[in-house]
Order: sequence, then structure tokens, then C-alpha cells
Amino acid sequence: MKKKVLSVLLSVTMVAAMVIGCGNTATETKTDDAATTEEKTEAPAEEKTEDTEKTDAAATGDMSFEIVSKGFQHQYWQAVLKGAENKAKELGVKINFVGPNTESDIADQVQMLNSAINNSPAGIGLAALDTEACMDGITAAQSAGIPIVGFDSGVPGAPDGAIVATVATDNYAAGELAAENLYPAIKDIIASATAPVRVGVLSQDATSESVGNRGLGFIDKLASLVVADGKTATVEGNDKFVTDSKCEKTDGANVVIEVAVPAQVDASLSKTDCETLLNKADTIAIYGSNQHSGEAMVSANETLQKFGSGEGKVIGVAFDSGEVIKSAVANGTFLGAITQAPVAMGEALIQTLADAAAGKTVSDQDTGCQWYTAENMESEEIAQNLYD
Amino acid sequence: MENKEKKGNAFTNNPIVKAVGAQKIVVLLAVILLYVVFFVMSSSFRQYTTLVSLLDSSYYIGFMAIGVTFCLITGGVDLSIGTGMICYALMGAFCIVKLGMPVGVGMLICVVAGIIFGFFNGFLVAILNLPPFIATLCTMMITRGLGSIFTGGLSIAWPSSSTPQGWFRTIFKINTSGVLLPIGIVFLVLAVVIMSLVLNKTRPGRYIIAIGSNKEALRLSGVNVVKWQWLAYVISGFFTGLAAIAYAGVLSSSVAPGSGAGLELNAIGAAIIGGTSMNGGSGTVVGTLLGVLIMSLLNIGLPNIGLQANWQQIITGLVLILAISLDVFKNKKLARA
Repeated sequence: MKKKVLSVLLSVTMVAAMVIGCGNTATETKTDDAATTEEKTEAPAEEKTEDTEKTDAAATGDMSFEIVSKGFQHQYWQAVLKGAENKAKELGVKINFVGPNTESDIADQVQMLNSAINNSPAGIGLAALDTEACMDGITAAQSAGIPIVGFDSGVPGAPDGAIVATVATDNYAAGELAAENLYPAIKDIIASATAPVRVGVLSQDATSESVGNRGLGFIDKLASLVVADGKTATVEGNDKFVTDSKCEKTDGANVVIEVAVPAQVDASLSKTDCETLLNKADTIAIYGSNQHSGEAMVSANETLQKFGSGEGKVIGVAFDSGEVIKSAVANGTFLGAITQAPVAMGEALIQTLADAAAGKTVSDQDTGCQWYTAENMESEEIAQNLYD
Repeated sequence: MENKEKKGNAFTNNPIVKAVGAQKIVVLLAVILLYVVFFVMSSSFRQYTTLVSLLDSSYYIGFMAIGVTFCLITGGVDLSIGTGMICYALMGAFCIVKLGMPVGVGMLICVVAGIIFGFFNGFLVAILNLPPFIATLCTMMITRGLGSIFTGGLSIAWPSSSTPQGWFRTIFKINTSGVLLPIGIVFLVLAVVIMSLVLNKTRPGRYIIAIGSNKEALRLSGVNVVKWQWLAYVISGFFTGLAAIAYAGVLSSSVAPGSGAGLELNAIGAAIIGGTSMNGGSGTVVGTLLGVLIMSLLNIGLPNIGLQANWQQIITGLVLILAISLDVFKNKKLARA
């Protein structure tokens, strides 16, 4: 009897598993199909316009560009696409914006790069998933005389001259912008403090270049602002940040900038780091240098309820957007956050491509970032760069 | 309990120690000692909210550890619990946020997904006779990939506490007139009590222990070994599902696809510190809970006394070595007696 019950139970679970599994695959394929049909319907149109474009190009000097991105997984890329489309319309050029399904599909991206070269465009925009894998394509483009402009993370480690310019966020400058916007809020506290005060920096890791620079930009700028007002600052915590920072180690400094880096990227570890900082009586502000750290600040605040503005509160500054951080900024938990400017990046990419194709000299470009708060995050200029 | 040798010192011969088990007493003393050390060394550790955070991080490690204790006792292991937990939490989040399902359904999905993967692990180990380490290593990879596929690579956050959908967060901590009550501990303790009874007072529990000490003898005595070994992995899967809910409940961060690897070692480490033998055949759920408290104390306490992340890892490693040495030492003593 027991055996029968067990076997029935087993079969039910297995069938359920199959149904659930199949259900998923069905929807998955459907969306995939939808995506491909969309692409398909778009692609011929694109090709056609390109064909007419080619004849036009000879007459009017119009150009077409191929943009190979990292895919459309994140809203961020939708925003880059929007900027690129805006600029293309403005300049009267044609663009074909493509990207693989996920950021792990390196082979797909290589394929896309190759077909982009076969279309012999006036220029190619490339955010390489893997520079090494794209090398053949890059060489082919070079010998065909097609200029490549890197964007977002660009094409790191590409041989000299292969990439004519890179348009990307300057992460160091982004960190500086966070410090510049935080400082007015803590300036008076520092000025009137009788004992040293502490500013925390939460960094997801100490190895990634982008996250590292966002931290260092913040630390260096904050320290220089403090020193400019006649006070002293020092950096403590993670050894790599302490060594790389321009801030001199000072004993008994007025402002202690403490950098916490977890042993591994784990939401719980970063939450603990933030709680430890919040629990120190002298902490006046905390900066989280990416979405992971910013969200850990929100998690920690669930227990400690210390972020906010006013007497006895700690000022929070975050980076990037996403639902969690956006609502923390909107409800006043955080003073504000930095967002990259994907729309501006898309625009700058097309402008640089157009310049390069016209034979002008082009150079690397910082596409900037923006400081957003509860007040300005609804404005169109900011809102277009915020994503869930 | 395990120390049945006639010789012994005053400590092991004490009737209370005999009743509770020497290992558990040692671990309990270690919990108290660690707490006192951190309490004295760090003013931030003394705050009430730190205690709440300590419990916060105990819930999900605790649920995982309770489940994996059963696998360890059979002489196996379940490595898929860390990535599995993240995978189920992602599935739940996806259904709630992207498909608009009620939170309750999302929670149910976590548990059901856990049970299904537990079934799958049990099938690989008990029926196909794959080594548990390899079998669950494979499911670890599968769950890691599946979580990403499910959400299309996106990280998704469970509803925040300020939204009506965020009610599930009050399962673990409730804010009554400014005071945070960590009521999640009630559920964790309840789970420990129930699973202790299951392990020690019921037939399936006793069989699971017996599988770990001598599987062949148990099979020859006519017991359906396959069934009970299978059950151990289903239990592990079920508790991983609960852990997924706890993880989502105490952390506001969005659940990141591809993460979770390494968390299983916190749970397995906790079970071993608590006296569960890596060779199977012995272990208690109460011991596991104490082990979880040690892991959480180290996780929360070490940053509070100002130790950098890498030092925290070293100290946690040293504590594990100490705990496992105790286990080895105890076994040698038993063998000699």
C-alpha cells in the first residue's frame, strides 16, 4: 500500500515537473520565435533601405553603420539603442543595431560582427564580449578600411590603431561626481565636528576596473574637498583601495574614509559590511559604488533604519538604478545616486562613427553620468537613463 | 550520547553531558564564548540590531543546513543547495514580479522547485548510484544555469517591505512600534524541533542514520534502503526551498543569476561544526543549529571587530579545522574504546 502511494506520488511529481518544464520551454521558444520574427521582419527592411541607401549614398553622401552590442538583456542597452536611433535620425544616417541573446553568447556576437563587416558599412560600433574572439573580425574590418568605434566597455586589449576611438563612461569621473554631490550635505557636520567622522565606501570587489575606479574617484575627490576646507582626511579598510588612493595616510584625521570589500560577491556579506559601518557612532555617510552595494545598503537599512536626512541619520549615496535603488532615492532613504548616461552614449557613438567615416580625427570620449535625486528623477533627461 | 566508553573524564561522565552529548555542549560553549568575545570587543556588536542581523543571516543558512544534515548523515552530501536556493528564489521572484502572481504562490514555487530538485538528486544517488558528491555537483551546475535562463539573465528583486506585496518579509522580522522582532527564529526553532523528532523518534529517521553507519547491513535486514536514502535528498530539497524564501525575505537586494555557489559550504560547514560526521551515521539537528549560530557569529562578529574580509575567511577556515579535528578525535577515541 505504502509503495503504491509513494509511486503515485512520484509519478505525479514527475508529470508535474514535465508539465512545468515543457511549459517553460514553450513560452521560451515562443518569445524566441517572436524575437526572431521581429528581427526577420526588421532585417529585410533594413537590407532594403540599405540597398537604396547605397545608391543614395553615392548621390547624397549618406552613410550606414553597423552596431554590435552586448545584447538587450538589460534595460541599459535599450537606452543606448534609443540614443543611437535619435542621433541617426538627426544626422540622416542608417543604423543596424544588433546584439546576442545573453552576454555569454560570444560565438553569436562574433557571427554578428562578421556579417556586419560583410555589409560593408561606413563604420562599425563594437562592445566586445571577448576581444580575443573578435580579433579576426577586427583585422578583416581594418583591411577593408572600415573604422571601428568601441563603446560601453569598448574593446579592451585591442591592438593599437584597430579601434579609432572609444565612447564610454569615465568611471573615475563618475565616482568624483558622487563625492561632489555628497559633500555639500556633510560639509557642515565635518566643520562643526569635535571628533573625527567616518564616511563609508562599499565596493563589490577590488579587482574590477569599473567598480574600482568608481570607488577611487569618490575617495580622491572627497579627500581633496575635505582638505580644501582646511581639514584632514585618511583612507582605511581594504588594502588595495588604501594603496591606490591619492589620499595620504594621516593619523588622527578629521575625516576617515573607510572602504569595505566583501570576500566574495554575496548580498549577505555586503549587507553585513554596511550594517557594521552604520553601527559605528561616527559614521555620517555611506557610498555604494554599484547596484550590488547600493542594494546591500537598502537591505541593511531594513534592520537599522539609519539612512535618511536630519539629526542622527546617515546619508546614503548609491550608483546605478534598478527598482530597489530607484525607490530608495524616491522615498528619501538615499540622498541620491549616480546613473550612467546610456542615451548619451548611443548618441556619441553615432556622432563619432559619422566623424570617423567622414575622415575627421576622432578621440576617446567620456559620455558622462548624471546625479539623480527624488526631485529630478522624473525629468525626461534623467528618467530616460534610469532602468529597472 | 556517542561517548559510551567506560573510561572518560569528569566532563564526559557528568550525567547532563551524557544526556545532551559532549559535542553539543562544546559547541554551545563556543557559541557563548564567541558571543561574549565580540560583545566585549565591539560596541557596535552590542547593539540590539546586530542581534537581529545575526538571526537574519542564520535563517537561510539554517534551513539549508537542517536539510543537508540528513544527506550528510546518510554518508552523502548535497552541493546543490547554494545555487539551488538562488535558482528557486529567482523562479519565485520572476513569477511574482514579471508574471504578476501573488507572493504566496511565489513562495510555494520555491518550495515545490526545491522538492523537485531534491527528488532529482535522490534519483541520481539512490537509483542510479552516482556518488553524491558528483551527482549534486552536476545539479549545482544545472540549478545555476536554470536560474539565469528562467529570468533571461536578469536579476530580479522580491517586492520590498514598503509595498503591499512585501508582507512576506514580516515572516522573519516584524516592526512593532519601532522595535524589530526577529520572529523568524520561531520558525527556525520549530523546524529544528520537528526535524529532530523525525530524525531520532521516527522509523525513516532511524533508517537514515542506519544508512550512514552500515548501508549493506540495513539492506540485508530487509529495509528499502533506496527509498530512505532518496527521502534524505527530498528533505534537503524541501529545506532549500524554505531557505530561498528566507533569503528573499531578509535581503532587499535583487537576486542575481549565477550567484549562490559557495553558500552551500556555509551550511555544510555549520552541520559539521555541529557534530554531524562527514562519514555519515551520526549527527543531530540541534547540533546543526548551534553550528549555524557559530557561522553567523563569525560572519557578523568579525567585521564588527574591524577585521578585513580576507582575515574573516582565514578565521572561519581555522574554526572549521578545529571542529573537524574534534570529530576525527572523537571517532578515534570511539574506535579505541
